[in-house]
Parts: sequence; C-alpha cells; structure tokens
Amino acid sequence: MKHYDAVVIGAGNAGLTAATALQRGGSRTLLVERHNIPGGCATSFVRGNFEFEVALHQLSGLGTEDKPFVMRKFFDKLGVMDKVEFIQEHALYRLVVPGELDVTLPASWSGIRRLLQEMYPAESEAIERFMLVCEKVTLESFMTLPQAARANSEAMLRSMCPYYVQYGFRPAREVLDEFFSDAKLKNILATYWLYLGVSPSMLPFADLATMLYAYAVFKPWHIKGGSQAMSTALVESFLEAGGEVRFNCGVETIHTEGGRVSGVSLEGGERVACDAVVSNASPLITFNELLDLDRPPLKIQQDFKSRRMGTSAFVIYLGLDCTPQELGVTTASSFIYETLDEEAIHARMGSLEAPLGGMLTCYNLEDPSAAPAGKSQVVLVCLQYGDVWKSVKPEDYAQTKYAFAEKLIALIEKVYPTVRQYIEEVEVATPLTMMRYLNTPGGAIYGFQQSAQDSALLRERLDAVPGLYMAGSWTSMGGFQPTYMAGESTARAVLKQIKVKEAANV
Amino acid sequence: MSEHNALNLIAGYSEAFAAKLALEQSGSDFQEVRGEVASSVVQLHPKRLALQVAEIIEDTPSTKTLRLVAVDGQALPPFQAGQYINLFVEIDGVRTARPYAMSSSPVQRMHYDLTVKRVQGGFVSNYLLDRVSVGQRLSSSGPMGTFHHNPLFHGDDLVFLAGGSGSAPARSILLNILERELPQRFHMIYVNSHVDDVIYADELRELAAQHENFTLSEVISRPPAGYSGRSGRLSRAMLQELLGEVGDKMFYICGPTPFNDSCVALLGELGVARRRIRVEANGAPKTPHQQAGWPAGVNMDDEVTITVQGRGSFRSTVGEPLLNALERNGYFVENACRSGECSLCRVKLTSGEVFNPQEAHLRKSDRDFGWIYSCVAFPVGDIEVLL
Repeated sequence: MKHYDAVVIGAGNAGLTAATALQRGGSRTLLVERHNIPGGCATSFVRGNFEFEVALHQLSGLGTEDKPFVMRKFFDKLGVMDKVEFIQEHALYRLVVPGELDVTLPASWSGIRRLLQEMYPAESEAIERFMLVCEKVTLESFMTLPQAARANSEAMLRSMCPYYVQYGFRPAREVLDEFFSDAKLKNILATYWLYLGVSPSMLPFADLATMLYAYAVFKPWHIKGGSQAMSTALVESFLEAGGEVRFNCGVETIHTEGGRVSGVSLEGGERVACDAVVSNASPLITFNELLDLDRPPLKIQQDFKSRRMGTSAFVIYLGLDCTPQELGVTTASSFIYETLDEEAIHARMGSLEAPLGGMLTCYNLEDPSAAPAGKSQVVLVCLQYGDVWKSVKPEDYAQTKYAFAEKLIALIEKVYPTVRQYIEEVEVATPLTMMRYLNTPGGAIYGFQQSAQDSALLRERLDAVPGLYMAGSWTSMGGFQPTYMAGESTARAVLKQIKVKEAANV
Repeated sequence: MSEHNALNLIAGYSEAFAAKLALEQSGSDFQEVRGEVASSVVQLHPKRLALQVAEIIEDTPSTKTLRLVAVDGQALPPFQAGQYINLFVEIDGVRTARPYAMSSSPVQRMHYDLTVKRVQGGFVSNYLLDRVSVGQRLSSSGPMGTFHHNPLFHGDDLVFLAGGSGSAPARSILLNILERELPQRFHMIYVNSHVDDVIYADELRELAAQHENFTLSEVISRPPAGYSGRSGRLSRAMLQELLGEVGDKMFYICGPTPFNDSCVALLGELGVARRRIRVEANGAPKTPHQQAGWPAGVNMDDEVTITVQGRGSFRSTVGEPLLNALERNGYFVENACRSGECSLCRVKLTSGEVFNPQEAHLRKSDRDFGWIYSCVAFPVGDIEVLL
C-alpha cells in the first residue's frame, strides 16, 4: 500500500492551500479531487468565446503594492505570487433601490467618509465615530483578539481589544440603529450582508465592520484569468514541490485504526495509507459519510446540533454582445434591492418567488481581458437556501431553473434594462448545481449559516479523531480569503503534529 | 469551553452562546440527511448510466437507431432536447467512447434513442451498427451539453439546419415542442446527399403536415435524375427564399464540419448576428494542419513518442488526437464531449508541445500552466503527459 504523510480530500481553496503548504513544508502529500479541475468554487468554465468566473466577486486582504496586506505575503509563501496577476476594483459597490437610492461607494476609506458626510450632513459626526469603530474592530480582530482569546484573559481583552469588547458580537442591525437615524444610510453601510446571506439582525457586527473596512482599505481585487488561475497556480506550486494530485477521483472512505486515521480508500478501489487526512469536504460528509465509524464522536455530533445549514446561491453567467458602457455599468459590483427592508430580502432567500435583492458583477469593466473585445462578462447572483430545490422533481428542474432565472433577470433589468437583448451565452447555476460541484449539503457555498452562534470563538476545533483535520468554510468564515487562510493554518497544525511524532520516534 | 470564559466580556457574546445552546437543544446531527447530496445529484447528473439495448431500429441503409433503457428498468435522467450522452464501448480490447445526441423526445424517460450513421472507417459507429445486438449492456455518461433551446434568450422562432444525422437532436427538439405544445415555431432545413438516406423522412413529413408550427424544408444535394424537389448545395439565395426575414430567429446547426462552417458563413451573409447561431460540436478536427498556428514542417503522419509520466510510453502519429492514442494504448482518461468543450479529458503536458486547434475551449490558466484537452490535442513532437 502506498503511504503518504498526508492526504488532502478536495481541491477547493482550503484544500489547495493546505496541500501546497504541507508539501512545501516537507510532508509527502496526495491531493485528491473528485472533479476534473481544481478550485471548487474558485473555478471557471468556458462557453463559446467567454471564460466565466464562477464565484470570486471581490478578493480581500491583498492591499496595494505600496501598502500590502496579509494575502500578498501569504500567496508569496505558497509560491504563487509570481504566477498570478491581480486586478484592482476602484469602487466597493453601487447600491440601487429603484426610486429610493442610488449610491456608489469608492474603494477608499476617506472617500467613503467624504461621500456619506456630504449625503447625510446631519449625521456627519456619527459617520466619523462609526467608521472609527469599524477600523478599530477590524484591526483588533486581526491583531490582538486571537492572542487575548487564547489567553482567556479579561484584562487583555479590556486593554488590547476595547472596541471589539464593546461591539464585537452585537447584531449589526443593533449597532447601526445606535449610531444612525437615517434608514437609507444604514442600508448603504450594511450592503455587504448580501454577500454573506445573513441579514443584518443576525450578522455579528464585527463581520460587517471587517468587510467594509478591509475592502475599502485593502481594496477589492479580481484575478486575471479568474479565481481558476489561482487554483491552477496553487496546483502548479504543489506539483513543483513534489506533490501528487489526482483528479476525477473521489474519496470513498476514511479509515481509522484504534480511533486514529490510518488511510483512505479512493474511487476505483485503491487504498492508500497516511498519517493525516485534511478534509476540504464538509464536516457533515466527512464525519457522517466518509469516516469508517458508525457515528462520529459525541463532541462532533454535539457541534453539528447547534449548526444550521448556510446559504447557497442562484447564479446566471451571461456573455453579452455589448460593452460594459453600452450596458450602463459604471462599477464592477452592483447590488440591487426591490425594497429597503433587508429582513424581507433575507426571508425571500428561502423561496422560489421573485428575489427581492440581487447583485451584478461585470468582470471586464476593470479587466478588459475578462471578455472578448466589444463584449462583456456579467454575472447575476442572488443568494438562496437550497431547501426549496429539494422538492423540485427532476423532470421539472430545467423549467424551474429558467423560470427563476427570469425573475432574477427581471430584478436586474430594473437598473440595467438592456441586459437581456445582448445575450450571446448564458449558463444558469442553482443550489443543486452548487451541490453537484461542491458536494455540500443544501449546496451551501459558505458552509454552515454564518450567524453569531457559528463563530469559531464559540467553538472548539473538530479534532475528536486524531489525524483528521477539517479545512474550509464550514469551520471558519466563508469566502475566499478566510478559506485560503484556513487551509494554510490547518497545514501548520498538521506539520506541527508530524514534527512531534518524528521527534518521539527519534 | 472552560468554566470561566473571558470572552463573555464581549458585548453580545453570552447571547450568542445562549443562542448556540438553544440551537443544540432543537438541532440534529444531520444523520438524517446522510447520502442526500449524492442521491439528489445522481437524479440529474449521474457520472455513469448502466444501459441496455432494448431495440435496434433500421432507419435507412446507412443508419440505425439504438433504443437504450436503464438496466434497472427505472426512468432515465431528464435531459434538455438537443443534449447528448457519451457512450462508452470496448472494441477489441480498446476502451473508448463517443458522444451521441438523443434523438428521442425528453417527454418520456423510459428510453434514450441514439441514431447512428455509418461513417467510412468509423471505429465506433461501425461497431455500433454491425456488432451491437439487442440485450447488450453499455455504459454512458449522464446527459450533457449546451446545444439545446434556452428560453432565456432563444425566443420562439427557431430554425434548425441539419446535415445528415445532424437531424438527431433536431428530432428531439421538435418532438419536445410538439408533445408539450410549446409556443415555438420550428423550421427544419434538412440537407441530405441522397434521397434514399433521409433519416426519419416519413415521420417528419407527416408531422409537418399535421402541425402548423413545424415547417420541413428538405434539400437533396446529390439528386437522382428527374428529382423534382429542392436540390443542390445550400446557397445564400436558397436560404433567403426559405427563411424570409431573419428577424429574431434563433439558428441551430448540426451536421458535418464543412456543412456547419458553410451554414454559419451563409447566415452571416444574410445578416444574422453570430449570437443568434448555435453550432453543435463535432469531435476533433480532421484537418488541424490547415488551421492557423500549425507549426511549419510538421506533417500529420509524422511519428511521435508519447510518454505517460510514471507509467510508460508508446508511438503515435501527429494527426491522431491524444485521447484516442491514449485509449488505443490502454490508458483511460475521463471524457465526454470529445470535441474540446466539456474539459473532462483535461491532462497536464509536462514536456513537449501539442497543437491546440480552435476547437479547444481552453481556460486562460490551462494555457498558462500547460493543461490541455486531450480529445483535441495533437502532439507535434515527442511529449510527456501527467494523467
């Protein structure tokens, strides 16, 4: 039987960074992926003359070349910084509520402050204070909170994380209400909730503050060639370091011996031995279906019981025979609401009725190479919980998919009225499509629902089976930066464990 | 969590913790949804279908239709009319596959009909026509492909230009429209070489007579003496006469590659926007050396060595698509469209060079990092690949 130090199940963001960090860290690693291509969400597909970005709307954490932030060093350490090219977006987003609101936030912290203070002079001072709180909460959660939490020290929390202590876990809605009286100003500042699919009343304030501050200061980015380019670059770095990858190859069983991970069985029947398994599959499938135990350890069952399934997405990929200018697009990212009531928009995410909120991303506005000359790559999204698709009969699936797509297009048409007449290519992905390609229950794209009780600060690691490690959005925050980072930090934990074992064997 | 948790100091933390405990009381360990992802996905997108030949229908002297049913007798996955399955076969020890569009209506799901026309020297088509018998088991991919009516932008005025057995997906699309009583108009311009080789001829003529929204225009390119119907090559004038105003029509083209190319050109001349034309993929190009970018001095019949990293090597020729060469030498690579579109046969080129023809719909990063679609890759020298 072939032996590896580590087997990584799944080549999603966290699987890729885990495998690359493990192999570069000297651990002999096998990466297996059931699909034919790496990336999971971070992928692309080609239709006609278009290559569509599947999931990356705004990459966070890079900072500019002059003012770099964590992800530049991170990608450099993984050997991919010279293999990809990043494209900066110059606005955070345009939020349009037809007849009510149309505002574009620049990708600049001071620019946002200026704009909002001009729009809402009566709330000028509150804007100033609110932005300071966002900044402090973000910096504390990156710099000092992890240390204070590890130390379990009230004194450290008080002295090192005063803003986080005052605001961190409160619902975003409550904090916004405390600062502002104008409802529309609150809509503008809360817009990023739509990325996460957790309404402002359920969303921990720190999550919103971090997104807003980090995107504005470290800028939103795209990757040339799409997120697929990063996924393929990570595989390249992994192979260069001597790693072994198999595509079109799922894992059927994770084997244990004496309660400890001993190997995996691969699709097709081959069995390999290993000391550690890093699973980039959901913990539900990992523990309930892949692991060779009848039931997962009690601690894991207990953790699952307090989880709720997170959101999936409904996505329309459009190749348009017109320029972004002809379409009327002025910012790469637009959010469009039918109503100012975010709770109503959120409630609608659980149904097949017309969505009340959606977004449009135009990839070639800032990166002309993202579409053929004179054309546009445009992606429409509304987040949606996967449950409603469970009752759709297979024979009604295509029709249901197109009927719902019509509703999402109708919403987007309220702001970009000509979008339909230029269609050259179109592909529609439903929560079932996400389920197919991500192998996640409910087609979840960010793992479990990311409301306050999902926070890693309330939970222990799912480490009840020695040698089995989880890496991905299910045990950390969803999205690109968090999942890239989760994989790498899991790899560090594995490498540390391997070193301990080696030291014991000497 | 330890008894004393300093994080309780954080505003909202203890509330979140209490909410978590409450959820734990009412929640489940998700055992009840064990297997649900796999069972949901397999209903629409099985990796493989176990099929059995239930009936073989002789259509014309050159064509047969294989009626395939599920081995387990259950309904087959739904498909969108125009889609295909990739049929896996083993012929004299060689495991290979070919994609075939379903010619049957998607309204019934108890069988898929695959209509197979003899191709001169066709390795798989001749096997299916001459050696497959009723009761034989075959395996296939699930239904796939984007060559189907898309209600989001295709509209209701459809024209299908079919050449020979390119009529297979047209028949499926037509039956779907008629059986579901959809609001679409369907005009089929059906070009065949010989009068005695028109697949589904009687059925199509009968349906055209019965249904106002279906128009059939037959063209015979090599008519016998005294033939009174429309004949000759499709020309701009003939198309113009058949179509009238092109308006908002959506065009589907499926036939041999030269037929497809000529139809696209003619429609362009008539002022049809390229985005209103869908062309079905057609396998690896037969004449890649006539495409732009073919390296000078390389001949289609030059011999090359192909090495599969860590597994062995064999001789092949420049003109044989890499996937076929691998299969002929006992190496299996997952595949489906075999036309450079679906990307399932993607492999990594670790040394040497291949020619990627225009059919290869590679991603930018595939090109940058040396990944190729083996079904349409032509090795122009000795190469090494990683499977």
